[in-house]
Amino acid sequence: MAIVLFLSVFLIAACGLIYELIAGTLASYLLGDSVLQFSTVIGSYLFAMGIGSWLSRFIDRALVARFITIELLVGLLGGFSSTLLFLGFAYTQAFRFLLYVLVVIIGILVGLEIPLLMRILRERFQFKELVANVLTFDYLGALGASLLFPLVLVPKLGLVRGAILFGLINAAVALWSTWLFKEHLPTPGIQRAGCAIVVLALCIGLAFGNVITDTADSALYSDEVIFAKSTPYQRMVLTKWKQDYRLYLNSHLQFSSRDEYRYHEALVHPGLASIASPKRALVLGGGDGLAVREMLRYASLESITLVDLDPEMTRQFSTHPLLVELNSGSLKNPKVHVINADAFPWLEKNDGVYDFVVVDFPDPNNYSLGKLYTTAFYRLLRHHVAQNGVAVVQSTSPMFARQSFWCINETMKQAGFKTYPYHVYVPSFGEWGYVLGAVEEWRQPAQVPPGLKFLTATNVHELFDFPPDLAPVPAEPNRLSDQTLVRYYEREWREIVR
Amino acid sequence: MSRPSRRQFASAALLGLAPKSEPRIAGGFVFEGPDQGLDQGHRIRDKARFATPRRRERIPVVIAGGGVAGLSAAWRLDKRGFRDFVVLEMEAQAGGNARSGQNEITAYPWAAHYLPVPDKHEALVRELCEELGLLQDGVWNERWLCHSPQERLFLHGRWQEGVEPAIGLTRKDTAQFRQFEERIQELRATAAFRIPMEEGLAKATPAVRALDTITMGDWMDREALISPYLRWFVDYSTRDDYGTHVSDISAWAGLHYFASREPEDKGPLTWPEGNGWIVKKLLVKLGRYMRTKSMIYQVRREGQRWLVFTENTIYEADAVIFAAPTWLASWIVDPAPPRWPIVTAPWITANLTLHRWPENKGLEYAWDNVIYNSTSLGYVVATHQNVAMYQPQTVWTWYMALADGSGADQRRLLLGGDWNYWKERILADLEKAHPDIRQCVDRIDIFRIGHAMPRPLPGAIFNPERIHRTKHTGTLVYANCDLSSLSLFEEAQYRGVSAADHILKVVSRSGA
Ligand SMILES: Cc1cc2nc3c(=O)[nH]c(=O)nc-3n(C[C@H](O)[C@H](O)[C@H](O)COP(=O)(O)OP(=O)(O)OC[C@H]3O[C@@H](n4cnc5c(N)ncnc54)[C@H](O)[C@@H]3O)c2cc1C
Repeated sequence: MAIVLFLSVFLIAACGLIYELIAGTLASYLLGDSVLQFSTVIGSYLFAMGIGSWLSRFIDRALVARFITIELLVGLLGGFSSTLLFLGFAYTQAFRFLLYVLVVIIGILVGLEIPLLMRILRERFQFKELVANVLTFDYLGALGASLLFPLVLVPKLGLVRGAILFGLINAAVALWSTWLFKEHLPTPGIQRAGCAIVVLALCIGLAFGNVITDTADSALYSDEVIFAKSTPYQRMVLTKWKQDYRLYLNSHLQFSSRDEYRYHEALVHPGLASIASPKRALVLGGGDGLAVREMLRYASLESITLVDLDPEMTRQFSTHPLLVELNSGSLKNPKVHVINADAFPWLEKNDGVYDFVVVDFPDPNNYSLGKLYTTAFYRLLRHHVAQNGVAVVQSTSPMFARQSFWCINETMKQAGFKTYPYHVYVPSFGEWGYVLGAVEEWRQPAQVPPGLKFLTATNVHELFDFPPDLAPVPAEPNRLSDQTLVRYYEREWREIVR
Repeated sequence: MSRPSRRQFASAALLGLAPKSEPRIAGGFVFEGPDQGLDQGHRIRDKARFATPRRRERIPVVIAGGGVAGLSAAWRLDKRGFRDFVVLEMEAQAGGNARSGQNEITAYPWAAHYLPVPDKHEALVRELCEELGLLQDGVWNERWLCHSPQERLFLHGRWQEGVEPAIGLTRKDTAQFRQFEERIQELRATAAFRIPMEEGLAKATPAVRALDTITMGDWMDREALISPYLRWFVDYSTRDDYGTHVSDISAWAGLHYFASREPEDKGPLTWPEGNGWIVKKLLVKLGRYMRTKSMIYQVRREGQRWLVFTENTIYEADAVIFAAPTWLASWIVDPAPPRWPIVTAPWITANLTLHRWPENKGLEYAWDNVIYNSTSLGYVVATHQNVAMYQPQTVWTWYMALADGSGADQRRLLLGGDWNYWKERILADLEKAHPDIRQCVDRIDIFRIGHAMPRPLPGAIFNPERIHRTKHTGTLVYANCDLSSLSLFEEAQYRGVSAADHILKVVSRSGA
């Protein structure tokens, strides 16, 4: 008998910790900055438990019935906590608010559990024994939960269904309490009916668990979201599927860790390897530091200036362990100077001249972005490129947006660049294009740095060959006063996207 | 109130809040107060007593008024090496209708906001543009040509590209637009409609002169141009440039608007502060001649000279270029010239400071955003010419010509309504296209312009007194753009420069 009673303690302790871990994990997934999220979630949860313990003094009558009600409430709220949080994140702007309200309510209820249970058990055990056993099983439950959570619950069940399962355990404890303490229950039928309802609700939740996650976040990203952050400038989402990490900015794929080396090697090396001992380089956009990672292979480079609009982007790519691993810590390199600024006005205000410039902006899908692809912009850019230097511009897909690609080429030409368009195949993007602009005649590099995964001294020349289906088509240059590119781009992608 | 979206609703419910109550909007009237334009002008009208100034200053030439016309006269004199002059401007800030303001978000115009790209005939404007770096080796500086998208129209509940109505037109409507364009092309070919207008007048045949005896509305009736879309479009254009309805404006002036320029796909030239940008550039060079806060209350002939009275100083001048509004001369010049025959239109403009952009579906924000069938002329986005990609806040300049009925009645309405009245009218107007505008606006600063511009009613163009006043004789000549009866930068510049050329001859003859 005693062992069954203490098993209850073990189980409710485990459930309590699981809800806390779920809230912390979800908060770090969805809001980023896991240290902050975990600290604040654990803090408020423990504090709320304190409130619960204190409140227990006001419960004087019908202890068992109250205990069962509390169990059922914990089961229901805790069980559906991750469901509520996911939906709250997807459909409201009050995610943080919802998070802490849930954490506090669950915390208070869990805080009530143990004091009440101890008072119920007081008449069956000696006080010394009671305290020792309850606390032992409480801590054991915590250990069990903290091992179960990362090893079984998250990988096997996922957060939504995992939480519901633990909700069911709370409900089960409630149910068997109606037998354990039936002498204290005048009408156990009522409590049992309550248990049945909660169990039913949770089972339905369990059955439809994947539907819920689908509608919430996985509706947006088919893979597991491991990090998401909204900044004033954009929404960043990092997803994971097996070993493939993908970064989306405003739901546009930025890179896939499986093949980004193709994109970034092609972005950097044809241009940079062609320059004899380059010293100063500039990256506009590209806050992920992946282009910089490639540039750091050139020992002669003395400084790399990276201008990216979003401080959160460069901060994450300088600090988040996973992201830093992807860019090999490039943004922390002492040669690299990160500047958070709007690129066009920044170029207007500064007069540095660079041997190599990478222009890696999002595709021109609206007029604000389109300004960064105009003759006015490239003319300005040319003043920042050294006499024997080059600039490389990511230029969307010559396959899917062929006229847009050649429009960028034409625009750079009009701005006084000698242009050398090229392209590469990146599986997650498709056929992708770049335009290299030089101030003077330009020659392809004879060498590329050693240790690349894709480019070689031989295949670099092939990039500049355009098969007939990608060959030039006529296009008007893109001007501030007449943004042809945005219109081309919109038309071409509309034809492809279903 | 717009229906709150599900997302807003859910978060509001969670926070236990009803949708936000209307936020407080700050603001007031600008350029008003005891020592500023509106009230100062009324002191002249009411023949208030002005203290006789103690100071006397001898100066060969006085330019009265520091708007575009006065500045252009100064520009010409200075370029010709003549430096013995001052520009007297009553306001604290030069520029007149091309004044601008500035807040922490952007600079913005108070009235004039663009300059059409000048064609080959407009030598003076091109000369200035070259000087300001807008035109280099025959190429227009893209930075200050109006960026894409230029214009959009809110018609039948949605935004369309361009101001010319395009959705919901019947085949008949479209044919009428074509027919109108054909008439315009014929008139353009006569070369009687030019900018500056003076250059076309010589070519005016009797048929062209007759256009100044009827209204634009009459002319459209005569041509059977009755499509409501076309009528709206033409009315919008004449209100926009001349503050006058199609049913009131001289057909000559209305047609001049369309026939004087080649249809251009690029342009206009525009800046965050509108034509205030040109004023600032001119002031860099000409600021040293400028005396602001110098209201002229009298210009009196004394022997061979003119005494120009301001509250601080009496200027003794050999010659005066009168670049303040021409009608004012009848009040302050002694001996007084005949009554000026051209009436004026009142206007109201407002600068709205927005901490966020209203929700916008469909077309992206354009530079000029017009609402079909509104009494206003819509709004211009002051941040449009910025090249920053991320612009969370903005300033809009909202325009309205008070064109219904007589100018005097409309001025009473203009000055009768308090700030709250006008604020509500502005918001109600914008709400048609932007239901959540009230949630976005922090400030509304309103500029009431009693006599904003000349109204080219029938008879104005070929009025003998108008023509007489443009012929420069003697040592006091007129220069304001209202001499043309067409309120345009180009006309102001042309009038200012020709007045300066005349005065240069006069002063060199007198050997000063
Ligand atoms: C709302 C609005 C929008 C407009 N938009 C455009 C546009 O986009 N493009 C365009 O080309 N044109 C526009 N115009 C027309 C504009 O008026 C002209 O382009 C031009 O700026 C007129 O210049 P001005 O010097 O002739 O007259 P004003 O600008 O009227 O200058 C007269 C000057 O004389 C001063 N003054 C008056 N009385 C006295 C006195 N007693 N003593 C001393 N000084 C005095 C005034 O303060 C003023 O500075 C607009 C006008 C208005 C009202």
